[in-house]
Amino acid sequence: MEPLDQDLDESELELPTEPMLLNVGPAHPAMHGTVRIVMELSGEIIERCDVQVGYLHRGFEKMCERGTWTQVFPYVDRCNYVSPMLNNVGFALAGEKMLGITVPERCQWYRMILGELARMSDHLTCDGAMAMELGAFTPFLWMIKCREMLWEIMEEETGARLTHSFGRIGGMAAPPTDGFKEHVKAVVKHILSVLDEVERLLLGNRIFLDRLENVGIISAEDAISLGWTGPCLRAAGVPYDVRKAHPYLKYGEVDFDVPVGSTSDSFDRFMVRIAEMRQSARIIDQCVARMPDTGPVNVDDPRVILPPKEEVYNTIEGTIQHFKIVMEGLKLPAGEVYSYTEAGNGELGFYLVSDGSGTPHRVRIRPPCFLVTAGLERVITGQMMADVVPSFGSLNMIGGECDR
Amino acid sequence: MPSFKLDDKDIAFEPGDTIIRAAHRAGVDVPHYCWHPGLSVAANCRMCLVELMPPPGRPAMMLDVLAWDELHQTYVPQKKPKLQPACQQAAADGMVVKSQTSEHAIKARSAVQELLLLNHPVDCPICDQAGECRLQDYWLEHQASKKRMRDEPVHKPKGVVFGPTIVYDAERCIMCTRCVRVSAELARDPVLSMRERGNLNEITVAPGRQLDHNYTLMTEYVCPVGALTSSDFRFKARVWFLRSARSTCVGCATGCSSFTDFDPRNQKVYRYRPRENAAVNKYWMCDEGMLDYQRIHKGRVLEARIKGEGVSDAAALEKAAELLKQASPQKTAILLSAEHSSEDNTALLDLGKALGALQVYYTGRPEGQGDDILMSADKNPNTAGVLALSGGKAKPFADLVAALKEGKVGALLALGSAVGNPNEAAALKEAKNFVALSTHDGAIADHASVVLPASSWAEADGTFVNRTGLRQESDRAINPQGASRPAFRWVQELAKLLSVSLPWKKASELRALSVAAPSPSIAPGAE
Repeated sequence: MEPLDQDLDESELELPTEPMLLNVGPAHPAMHGTVRIVMELSGEIIERCDVQVGYLHRGFEKMCERGTWTQVFPYVDRCNYVSPMLNNVGFALAGEKMLGITVPERCQWYRMILGELARMSDHLTCDGAMAMELGAFTPFLWMIKCREMLWEIMEEETGARLTHSFGRIGGMAAPPTDGFKEHVKAVVKHILSVLDEVERLLLGNRIFLDRLENVGIISAEDAISLGWTGPCLRAAGVPYDVRKAHPYLKYGEVDFDVPVGSTSDSFDRFMVRIAEMRQSARIIDQCVARMPDTGPVNVDDPRVILPPKEEVYNTIEGTIQHFKIVMEGLKLPAGEVYSYTEAGNGELGFYLVSDGSGTPHRVRIRPPCFLVTAGLERVITGQMMADVVPSFGSLNMIGGECDR
Repeated sequence: MPSFKLDDKDIAFEPGDTIIRAAHRAGVDVPHYCWHPGLSVAANCRMCLVELMPPPGRPAMMLDVLAWDELHQTYVPQKKPKLQPACQQAAADGMVVKSQTSEHAIKARSAVQELLLLNHPVDCPICDQAGECRLQDYWLEHQASKKRMRDEPVHKPKGVVFGPTIVYDAERCIMCTRCVRVSAELARDPVLSMRERGNLNEITVAPGRQLDHNYTLMTEYVCPVGALTSSDFRFKARVWFLRSARSTCVGCATGCSSFTDFDPRNQKVYRYRPRENAAVNKYWMCDEGMLDYQRIHKGRVLEARIKGEGVSDAAALEKAAELLKQASPQKTAILLSAEHSSEDNTALLDLGKALGALQVYYTGRPEGQGDDILMSADKNPNTAGVLALSGGKAKPFADLVAALKEGKVGALLALGSAVGNPNEAAALKEAKNFVALSTHDGAIADHASVVLPASSWAEADGTFVNRTGLRQESDRAINPQGASRPAFRWVQELAKLLSVSLPWKKASELRALSVAAPSPSIAPGAE
């Protein structure tokens, strides 16, 4: 440590000048989820640091291997628990890719709306928490209130606020409710107005700007070489978005922009998320306009989709269909597939291996924030100790997804 | 060897084979309900229909049919090839058969499946067959469509008691006649037949008769659907919770290969199923054997006893060792059991050898009914094994009775539960210093001073030698019940307390010895 009194001659005092080793986390309020950072400090400057993940490892991928393919949905819910619907849809798309089926148009629009709502909830949480950690509590409350409204939509649609388990291979668990479109329109409108207010409140605030601007910079080359995707990569100026680069569902048919940053600092990451929420609202508007109000949500394939209950109770064919899918699980053809979508934090990939039975042989999840967290060391080395909190916050590590 | 082509695969066959039999042997499944490798061909389910390609230069046999034209909303005349049942069609060299690759066969199977389900009740949730039902499997594989018929299905009798072991549900029945053929061909008692026609078809028992031959449970076993259910297994367990261990039936000296189906959660055995074994039982087992699993849980000795009182294992072992030390080696007798595996008997013989015991006897369960199909009159699974292990020197139970009466036996170490002649069981009262390793209550456990609870055949791996001298392994299914342990483990404990050493330590070493030593492992000079 540096001597307290700068006037004294160091050699006379013989005080040690070794760097201080400081351990933050895994159970520290600023460590989102549970992650541990061991820092070597010289004064308040981080000389070296070691980011250790894995404290939230629950063995999800292994657990997936003992149930049916449908029983994987609750596990992916609990990966990124801030935007579980994106995980649900991502996994459903992977299974459908393996089966070679496409869900009906109505379901595709429905999945896009729910997914974009989940993305907004993800970004609201991340940006709100960043503001709060810098002392701006009001925007946090506003944004969490908005998230609450989104969760109310989710609750109405799926029956669950957080862990929906709503996706199904071949469709969704239920069709949209009657008031779905009106509900979504009203909430999105409100969220856009709150975003304006948040910007007015924060972007003129000198403390907020000073804490974020030119802090936690990573070069675009580094970000790409680390495998970064999502808002963190786009903040570094790389316009890679799975929805644009490899469109799935109906993303190829809607208009939206991919916001990018310029300096790749914490502030850029904050602003990219704000801008993405506005783009999500744009996408939702178009989806709501184009989603049919009637028509099937699930594919018409009895090998994949559970029959309606009245058929299960009244016809032997329905009973057998139900029995086979519930007891043995729907069967994906033997083989492997990699399917990827744009989740809240970037490219969420599912690598599935099936042996043709009703049980997954392997479910490998590529969590976007695992790779982003791998870059945290580069982001904070050389920074002040106090900048760890907003820099780390801007990467939006989600423990459940990172450690699985 | 001649061969034919099934889809893309070459299948070799022996002269006289049908297509399905040759395919079955080659491990290729042609879907079927009524065909069974052990029964005659009925060719009535029509599930195995295949398309036969005509020989080169010859026209295919075609049928005139009317097909529905969706566009013009009318029927139009068309031709389709005449399909043949693979179970009846004799294989010929160079024949080209299309099964999964023929659109006509695929369509026909879907139609057959739909027809079979036409009047089928919605019974899966209460049907014992659910989970191993052909109707369920084939619906997914060959039909996968929804119900089209809107009429009320035909109702037929349910819960018809066919006999002491079998309950029949006519609504679930697909009239494959496998049960009729099992009765007529395997049991040689044609007590079942069919009556009425078309959708009023049902299976009936001959007037004035019951389904009560010795192979009634085989009718349930071959039933591809849930029409015949065993009154013993009915509503007891759901099959997807059961696990199977490969076992050998210990009901008699035939030693049929079987599966022991047990629930790992409550460690209970629920049924036996025959396991295909061309050398012994082919596809079958008798009723007595099928129900023999009940003895695993009935009448068991589950705690150590001294004079009928339950005691701790340690106390019983100490007392047993003390008793066995009372007599001189000349007056110590060993009683082997044909009920137990070769491992258990080898262990006991080895202990006797270590103690210098000079008298070796054997016993087992009394004789029962036998027939010329599968059942042996000798109801012990390992008589041949015990005689081979003792080198033929083990003497029958009657000799032990005589020796007891003459006072030649000072201490008796017995394995097993029952004695061959129940009338002579009373002689065991005379036995002094009597230690028993018993699985079940019976003459031996009743008269012994110390009883150590032995595990049954379902609770330990073991080998049994059947009446033809065939050595077969039986795998452990459940954990030892109560305080029971495999008999050879008790022998090991006793040897420790008696300060003698045995030529093996591990179960695998014991098995190797019991297999490798047909010569007597008995004290030399023990004539």
